[in-house]
Amino acid sequence: MKFFKLPDLGEGLQEAEIIEWNVAAGDTVSTDQLLVTVETAKAIVEIPSPQAGMIAATFGQSGDIVHLGEPLLEFVSDEADNATVVGELQTVSPQPDADEHFIIGSPKAPSQHQAIRATPAIRALAERLKVDISKVSGSGKQGLIKVEDVERVARLESEKGPSTPLKGVRRFMSLAMSQSHAQVVAVTINDDARLGNWAKKEDATLRLLRAIVAACQAEPLLNSWFDAEAMTYRSLATIDVGMAVDTPGGLFVPVLRDVAKRSDKDLRSGLNRLKKDALKRRIPVNEMQKPTITLSNFGTIAGRYANPVIVLPTVAILAAGVIRDEVCAVKGKAKVLPVMPLSLSFDHRLITGGEAARFMAALKDSLEG
Amino acid sequence: MNVSFSTTDGLATDSATALDERPSAEMQIESKECVLVEAINMALHYEMAHDASVVVLGEDVATNGGVFRATLDLKQAFGAERVRDTPLAEGLIAGLSVGMATQGLKPVAEIQFMGFMFAALEQLICHAARMRNRTRGRLTCPLVVRMPFGGGIHAPEHHSESTEALLAHIPGLRVVIPSSATRAYGLLLGAIRDPDPVIFLEPKRIYRAQAQSICNDGQALPLDTCFTLREGEDVTLISWGALISECTQVVEQWHEQGISVELIDVATVSPLDMATILQSVAKTGRCVIAHEAPKTGGIGGEIAAQLAEHALLDLKAPVLRVGGYDTVMPYAKKEALYLPGVAEISNAIEQVLAFG
Repeated sequence: MKFFKLPDLGEGLQEAEIIEWNVAAGDTVSTDQLLVTVETAKAIVEIPSPQAGMIAATFGQSGDIVHLGEPLLEFVSDEADNATVVGELQTVSPQPDADEHFIIGSPKAPSQHQAIRATPAIRALAERLKVDISKVSGSGKQGLIKVEDVERVARLESEKGPSTPLKGVRRFMSLAMSQSHAQVVAVTINDDARLGNWAKKEDATLRLLRAIVAACQAEPLLNSWFDAEAMTYRSLATIDVGMAVDTPGGLFVPVLRDVAKRSDKDLRSGLNRLKKDALKRRIPVNEMQKPTITLSNFGTIAGRYANPVIVLPTVAILAAGVIRDEVCAVKGKAKVLPVMPLSLSFDHRLITGGEAARFMAALKDSLEG
Repeated sequence: MNVSFSTTDGLATDSATALDERPSAEMQIESKECVLVEAINMALHYEMAHDASVVVLGEDVATNGGVFRATLDLKQAFGAERVRDTPLAEGLIAGLSVGMATQGLKPVAEIQFMGFMFAALEQLICHAARMRNRTRGRLTCPLVVRMPFGGGIHAPEHHSESTEALLAHIPGLRVVIPSSATRAYGLLLGAIRDPDPVIFLEPKRIYRAQAQSICNDGQALPLDTCFTLREGEDVTLISWGALISECTQVVEQWHEQGISVELIDVATVSPLDMATILQSVAKTGRCVIAHEAPKTGGIGGEIAAQLAEHALLDLKAPVLRVGGYDTVMPYAKKEALYLPGVAEISNAIEQVLAFG
């Protein structure tokens, strides 16, 4: 037997959901053959076989969440059992000494496994009542799950139906938003950009990207990563814009790289591809990671202003609402102009109000030009 | 603490730079390739040379150097006064040791085989173990009784038992079992320096099984702690003595299969260092205990009971014991059937992994 465990899929992702098995017990596979397709918080990943061999068993079915290091499948092995070697006082074995290093007592700083705190009897009760014990929050000492807790969940499930666990991107969104809410001191500035100078069929998203570049050049600090624990920040040279893309599967934020250096045509084709990939949920891992600033163009749907939520470790996010016609005062006269509502959230732990306002001014200048 | 006894040579080489040709302190400490029984002999030589109150006694220990040669050359080095052959009388050996220990000597007695210890138990249990308590601390009993124990060497009756649990049950006796040459050296020094009685059980099956480079620096190992031989995440495997070598093979086998097993050598089986064991099981949630002694009433049962008391909520599977059968230790021919081996231990690990 040889177990193959869920490998590290990068970016500190701790779990993945099985989408589909491409092999079954009894199959013979070659190295790099596709074994299983899983969905992580960020994308769908195809996991290849690390070796050639026959599959003895697969663990988990579609929809199951597997954690990092848990076995995915088992290969059949042809190794024979080593028998115990017993003899008269066995003399020095020729093999190298494997016992030179040992630890007095326990290893330092062992990783803590997050056990569900429930006695075997409670686990059995949960199984009998068909309650998933991992969904039960314990009311006892240090979160110990008690009979009442299991019964409460069982009752709730029978009355209101089962709860739906958050998976994939929706789960990631939930965690990222909670983290942001808990840590970031966000302030939002709202303003309108008057688009009187725009051509008839101006590409709004492209213009927003260009405006972000101009604003980042005016106030580079908003294009930074912030580490509150270390009290450090990194002002970043390239501008990699995270593009919030709404899909039926949830919110994806693929990254458009080095926006400042790319041509309009290149950016547009990049945008189209990102969108297509997001809808298919098949985004290359390197395009899912590490934006330096985020753009949410919810104006393609509905809404005027918002208080967009900053995704750590970035420090700013810009949201654009629906472009509307509005009566504006231009040189003392009323004039109807198309107007784009803008909402800029910034992390006030790093960015000052002045820096953010100047960023907004540069944005507007670029958009109104 | 990651103990390494192999670095001394490296240190000495590194420090012998052109700037200073004088031998460093490290270079003067001798490092030697030793098997377990030679490590015991080296520790005895070291401590007798450094502490004049250490004396050695037992059957054939002086002129002959001991049946397994553990006391080789001690008489030549330290004289017949300090290294004494005794009659074939274990009660006398133990009684003599109790008398010497209470009056300022540090006797290291040898019982030739553990199966011969029963005549000595009255002295050890009724006197050595309780001397400190009986005299309200006025007298202590710093003796060491060394006994080769365990099976696997095709020996006759009374030469193969593992009755460590009998001794572990007696409050006041510390029971120590090394599982490698390195630990035998450090633990025996610790045992001789301990102010109370220590039973030092030597796994004779591995007396000459594996040589290690040991630095003869007189460094003792603590007698109140387990040793973590391998770090792992999935299962805790607990053992002691000769069986550690089988356990190491089991760890390797499972490692090849992607399962990481934490291997703990209990070393001091009484009193038990449960803190290390509990910390490991809190991490892995699964535990297998392997010992050569019969399962019933064995130390594995005590460890399992303590895990049930203190680690219930950490456990993902029942604690399993792998042990000898509850029978009289068979003669040489059937010995291999009795002794737990790689297959049995591995099977228990598979069971706790499969439990869920």
